[in-house]
Amino acid sequence: MLKRKHAWLAVMFLLAGTGVVLLRVFDPARSGMFPPCPVHYLTGLYCPGCGSLRAIHALLHGDLRQALAMNALTVILLPFIGYGLALEVFAEVRERPGPGMKLSATSIRVLGMFIVIFGVARNLPLYPFDMLAPRALLHL
Amino acid sequence: MFCPQCGASNADTAAICVQCGRQLQAVVPAAPNQTPGIVLPAGAVTQNYLVFAILATVLCCLPAGIPAIVYAAQVNGKLQAGDLAGARAASENAKMWCWISFGIGLGGVVLWGLLAVIGVVGSLHH
Repeated sequence: MLKRKHAWLAVMFLLAGTGVVLLRVFDPARSGMFPPCPVHYLTGLYCPGCGSLRAIHALLHGDLRQALAMNALTVILLPFIGYGLALEVFAEVRERPGPGMKLSATSIRVLGMFIVIFGVARNLPLYPFDMLAPRALLHL
Repeated sequence: MFCPQCGASNADTAAICVQCGRQLQAVVPAAPNQTPGIVLPAGAVTQNYLVFAILATVLCCLPAGIPAIVYAAQVNGKLQAGDLAGARAASENAKMWCWISFGIGLGGVVLWGLLAVIGVVGSLHH
């Protein structure tokens, strides 16, 4: 018997899988099929997530250096995101609310601050902070 | 839901288990967050949506992910302090900001798609 919850999970997996295939085949830097970051498009500033799609595209091609140059934060966070999502999926399948990631309130706040600081730093026109902007490391 | 006695899969609304006949609906109201006075391991009760908050921040490209992370921290902080009601309220807020972020992100994608279609149509016209 297929439950609605499981149908949702299947749809999510399908969407995620499609996303991965599209990101492997098309380069977000060149093809216009991926939308630009709305923050960068509207303000010209880099948000903490700018370059994420290009970073994942590079990772899917095994190019860690390029990925780190696009968005180092995303590359660092991806294993944690994967782990957290896996926990969520297991909790759904077992129909029991999972404990999720066991992080203290302080570590979550530190993580949040880290993301904000990363977002600010990559917009500063000052070396070495400007090296965090998408692509900057490639021009070294 | 799964029968607590034999583990057979049942419809969520089933009154008794299709396999062993155990009464099921009496079990449902005993779900963790509706039972007062029972202390559950922190985190088993309240979802903090941290993963989705982080995803919203780095993939939806949106500042709306930041409040979601702040509320996720509040959920865990309040659970640690034993404030279940507060944790639940923070959890609702975390969820709301995740959805806001996801909604704006999705809206952006749809808008981009529309603009692309209009652009393509426009360039065909010329």
